[in-house]
Amino acid sequence: MRINILIGGRAGQGINKISQIVSQLMSSRGYFTFNYRDYPSVIRGGHNFNILSISDERIGSHETIIDGIIAMDSLTIELHKAELKKDGFIITPDEFSDLGINLNVAQAGALIKILGIENNLLIEEINKEIGTKGAVAAAEKGFNSEKQKFSLKKLNNKISMMTGSEAVAQGAINSKMDIYLAYPMTPATPVLTELAQRQLKENFLVFQPENEIAVANAGLGASFAGAKVMIGTSGGGFDLMTEALSLQGITQLPLVVYLASRPGPATGVPTYTAQCDLDLALRAGHGEFPRIVIAPGCPKESMENTNEAFYLSNKFGALSIILSDKHLAESEYSYIGEINKPLKIELKRNFPPNSKAKANSYECDETGNATDDPKIIIKNADARMKNYEEIKKECKKFTMIKIHGNKNSKNLIIGWGSTKGAILDAIAGLDFKFLQVIYLKPLSDEIKKEMQKAKNLILIENNQTGQLGRLLREKTGISIKNRILKYDGRPFTPNEIKEQLKKWQ
Amino acid sequence: MAITRELRTNNKITWCPGCPNFAILESTARALLNLIKQGYKKEDFVMVAGIGCHAKIFDYLDISGINGLHGRSLPTAMGIKMGNPNLSVFAFAGDGDTYAEGMEHFIHACRFNSNMTLFVHDNQSFSLTTGQPTPTSQLGFKSKALPFPNPQAPINPLRIALSAGASFVARCNSKDIAGTAEIMEKAIKHNGFSFVEIIQDCLIFNQDMIARNELMYKLPETSRFVSKKSNLDGAQEPKVLDKKRSLDEAMALAKEWDYNLGKGKIALGVFFQENKKTFEEHWPQLTNLMKSKIGWKDLKR
Repeated sequence: MRINILIGGRAGQGINKISQIVSQLMSSRGYFTFNYRDYPSVIRGGHNFNILSISDERIGSHETIIDGIIAMDSLTIELHKAELKKDGFIITPDEFSDLGINLNVAQAGALIKILGIENNLLIEEINKEIGTKGAVAAAEKGFNSEKQKFSLKKLNNKISMMTGSEAVAQGAINSKMDIYLAYPMTPATPVLTELAQRQLKENFLVFQPENEIAVANAGLGASFAGAKVMIGTSGGGFDLMTEALSLQGITQLPLVVYLASRPGPATGVPTYTAQCDLDLALRAGHGEFPRIVIAPGCPKESMENTNEAFYLSNKFGALSIILSDKHLAESEYSYIGEINKPLKIELKRNFPPNSKAKANSYECDETGNATDDPKIIIKNADARMKNYEEIKKECKKFTMIKIHGNKNSKNLIIGWGSTKGAILDAIAGLDFKFLQVIYLKPLSDEIKKEMQKAKNLILIENNQTGQLGRLLREKTGISIKNRILKYDGRPFTPNEIKEQLKKWQ
Repeated sequence: MAITRELRTNNKITWCPGCPNFAILESTARALLNLIKQGYKKEDFVMVAGIGCHAKIFDYLDISGINGLHGRSLPTAMGIKMGNPNLSVFAFAGDGDTYAEGMEHFIHACRFNSNMTLFVHDNQSFSLTTGQPTPTSQLGFKSKALPFPNPQAPINPLRIALSAGASFVARCNSKDIAGTAEIMEKAIKHNGFSFVEIIQDCLIFNQDMIARNELMYKLPETSRFVSKKSNLDGAQEPKVLDKKRSLDEAMALAKEWDYNLGKGKIALGVFFQENKKTFEEHWPQLTNLMKSKIGWKDLKR
């Protein structure tokens, strides 16, 4: 069972509140939800929509074939009518025209009735979330305006809901992060906001310096003084940080970077999604130095991988990049089960005032003072690469790849990051194996073995040129000819993938 | 002159013979030793350097620090304060470093008022890159990188710092080792962001400006006016008036010199000082670390 509901309106009308109320009610009933957010860079007006999918089984994606539309304005109906199933329903704004700002609450109430949830649960939720008399009355009015269409009985699943951004923030808090620095940039900003709001209670510092250059350099300064530091940004801001990432490379001061991609080049399409910054994450920064690049595919992995990033950075004095994108960062997922117990982060280096410490952007000798001595240059460069060998060994303790689907299938799909949800939903019940690459640097040796075992290799990426495909060809010598690539700023839906996978079935 | 040996590494100094950076190194050592006598701990000193001739000082001082990137001394220093607000942090930077590559950080550091210090070694030229104009190079500065004498008028960093809200603004002459040491000491002791412009000759790439030494004069006592009154013998003795120099008065003093030659007087000393809440005092997380005298690494959570 899967129900897809499109909720649309002008920016500022409150479509997210509808998704929130409904998904919270559904998840407390044991249903899995997935909420996709589609919005242009407009603060008031324009056209925003969410697609809320509800299922009795695990889901990690949305669909564009719609069971129902909640339209907060007439434009929503105009734009999305064609996506509605023949027997689909529309909740229009017309009958609630007297409710003002409570229009969204009334429409949420109407949807709840359609889904077959009891009125008292709705009222309880509205009281908890909003708590005004007007909102409660609006919810009642909405509820009474519709007929029940589905009958979603209570299930026994214990569901947690989270966006990728909340998960990265939680992962950082689980790692006992001390400082988060960021300059606002979509789609990395939700991590800044989430952490900023929790900083006083949880006792860590969140600060927004003058730009990303300051963010990265201050991050290294704080790390030098013994703080566990994360910095966050999207592609353009990451470009500005690049020189300081190179400073990380020579000073080996631990640094975790959260990079949430959006379509580029330049300003690109700021509020939409793409996996176009893998090359950037792998190579940004002049000179040769080790780094770790990890791409979680869902919030649960985001929490665990963020913790691993802190662990590895602080253990090896390394740069760890957590690579996400708008789709993972801003979509709301549900999951069941606990996350891995957070790893303890230990700091082993010298700090002032306890001991003298010198960090140098110049190649330096053991005292931390600059040198041009060719022997020391080689010694330091070799030490950096030896450190990378140690990092590689340590990473083997973690889940660097995951194999999903039919484990015996000869059809091997390879992908990474936020495409995970749609790929899993697409291949359910089909003859495909899905290799999800989580660690992009270092890469797992298992990948080549899996590729060699397969008859058909299929690459799925949310970008134009197949950046993971290139990386795999470089590392394994195997080129993937079958490529399913999407670069219109929108994430994959399972149906789109299924359609393209037909030729291998 | 006796050279201070304490707080120095054994590294061979590679500044040009006669470079005023030697004097700045000596002033720094004296200022820090004086502070240690007053209870500061050597272990708490953390320096940051940018990139340029000035930055070699990093190799010669035997204290903790980061030799960072060109233009980025200030955010690096502020990061150190965020990481442990109990450390005494000061940044060395050049004029090209601070005002060209890093101008945004300079303005915001004045605005944030983190309790740290910036020493700008201002020789009015990029010298480690063999003589190109910086934002404080005088009109007419000659460079291999210019087809004609520098047509751009220099900026006035003191005016910028005062406008941007710096809570301590001073200028000194590197040739006056004792005077420079005294101002450095005051700057580090000031609770808030301190900006010290150290005027420095470049004997190789900007010899024209050496003549500016003739224009310099010392301002009276830190933040107070001094008037003269006759004592019983009829001799003049200074009387300290209990009146702070206002921002407008400081600005007027800063305007006296436009960083070109031949015009105006060059005031030396503390132009302006005020007490206001520091960056660290605004954030309870950092205030708590200061109260417990620890950095994040020693915080039990």
